[in-house]
Amino acid sequence: MTVAIIGIGCTSFNSVTAEVSFKEQMFEAAVKAYADAGVNAREDIGSFLTAAEDYWEGYSIFDEFVPDQLGAVLRSVCTIGGDGLLALANGTMQIETGLFDVVAIEAHSKASDMLTFDGILTHALDPVYNRAFNVHPYFIAGLEMQRYLHETKTTREQCAAVVVKNKRNAMDNPLAAFPADMTVDEVINSTMVSHPLTQRDISPLADGMIVIVLASEKKAKELSDHPIWIKGLGWCSDTPWLEARDWGAAGYTNLARDRAYKRADIKNPRKEFDFAEVDDYFSYKELQHLEALQLCEPGKAGKLAEAGEFNRDGAFPVNVSGGRLGAGNLLEGSALQSVLECVYQLRGHAGKRQIKNAKTALAQSWRGVPTASGCVAVLSNEN
Amino acid sequence: MSFDKIRDPRKIRHQIGDMECDYIYTAGVAGERFYIALRDEEKLLATRCEKCNITFMPPRLYCDNCFTELASFMEVPSKGVIESYTITYFDRDGQALPEPEILAFVKIDKTDGGLIHRIGEIKPESLKIGSKVTAVFEAKKERKGALTDIKYFKPA
Ligand SMILES: [Zn+2]
Repeated sequence: MTVAIIGIGCTSFNSVTAEVSFKEQMFEAAVKAYADAGVNAREDIGSFLTAAEDYWEGYSIFDEFVPDQLGAVLRSVCTIGGDGLLALANGTMQIETGLFDVVAIEAHSKASDMLTFDGILTHALDPVYNRAFNVHPYFIAGLEMQRYLHETKTTREQCAAVVVKNKRNAMDNPLAAFPADMTVDEVINSTMVSHPLTQRDISPLADGMIVIVLASEKKAKELSDHPIWIKGLGWCSDTPWLEARDWGAAGYTNLARDRAYKRADIKNPRKEFDFAEVDDYFSYKELQHLEALQLCEPGKAGKLAEAGEFNRDGAFPVNVSGGRLGAGNLLEGSALQSVLECVYQLRGHAGKRQIKNAKTALAQSWRGVPTASGCVAVLSNEN
Repeated sequence: MSFDKIRDPRKIRHQIGDMECDYIYTAGVAGERFYIALRDEEKLLATRCEKCNITFMPPRLYCDNCFTELASFMEVPSKGVIESYTITYFDRDGQALPEPEILAFVKIDKTDGGLIHRIGEIKPESLKIGSKVTAVFEAKKERKGALTDIKYFKPA
């Protein structure tokens, strides 16, 4: 492909951000991203895309509340009803059509503005068949986790090892909202939410905004000393029917993976990627996703996680940023948090958590329960 | 990043607002038939795509594999197998439930789908993936044409 990331900007991620509005936070991320890219928002950027969902924001027709803080008034703007990686994919395509040289994409969370997150999530369930019981919608994660453990013989301890790893990784990510030095026992003995899923298996919500500037090959070479190339992209949705799903696996990842790997000419993912940032909304999800991405054998991710394989200093580092579990669950923004980490690492700007000689990285997303949608992106510092 | 920031938390202002969203959700042609058969006849209705060999539970008017319309409904047994289960401790607003609820995805026999429902008449420690369960119906006069016309599934 011929599109590169030339600028990144974000706020830090926090459990509450009562002193600033989402518009002011988005403005901060945008100013930083445009400065990083060396572009003037009003002159150089042809198009702007935001990934957002009205209910998360508390605005009807949220799309209309985007332009001013991004420098996008009287410009081409649109909102994607999906996660940040889907905005990245659409921004990339807009450049590949030749319509624009430079495109800005944005995804975020202002979760602390939601007083009724649980109720909003309940409204994501099918009203005719899935809202009859007064239970928290995370029961779906309980059903998924139970089936995954059953099919793969993965243990709760192995899932807890993911939580421990990601929260520990977050300790070296100055942006992260939930760094912690937690033990496997602390995860397993935390409040039971929907057996076998405990409170610490669930990524805690955080606020944070991320803006990324994309450019055509010509513009990227002109503007950037360290462009990060988008080598492959894919996205996929499984059926929304809970009654028709494969409860033990992340089937939505398969087609997204195949398309992204094919475009990037990835034949042996485990060897060709230097690290991965994958969705870890719930602990078991990281394991399911690693298996779906063919980064280990089916059913083996838990064992490998427990053995330290996916640690920062392990054979294949996963979620060095801390992921959703450590950096915070940024809703549609977490997909771009993964991209952000890939860019830091591939530029060699990741400081204390830098992975040596990282050249090619994988970012993967999932939109959380009850969805069955996700994206895959392959990124590299070599064109 | 603003030039000036609020430093006194007591001065942080909010506007409290709520989005009142009330809807009627249409059950649809298939949903209507399913719930009426459940209420009036204690029957589970499915639709079937002969071409793809898929039986849809709950029933749908179209096959999502070959994308053709499905016209005929068939009765299937009101029993099945626990494909997965969970014991859930919080309600839809995030408050602790007085008693935990056992929910399962019950794969309905002779179909490729199933229902998400309660499991009753069982101790949590006896729950097992693969166990056979059967529907227990609400008393006829209590039925409303809703999923809760089945009280729960119990061990078969
Ligand atoms: Zn068919």
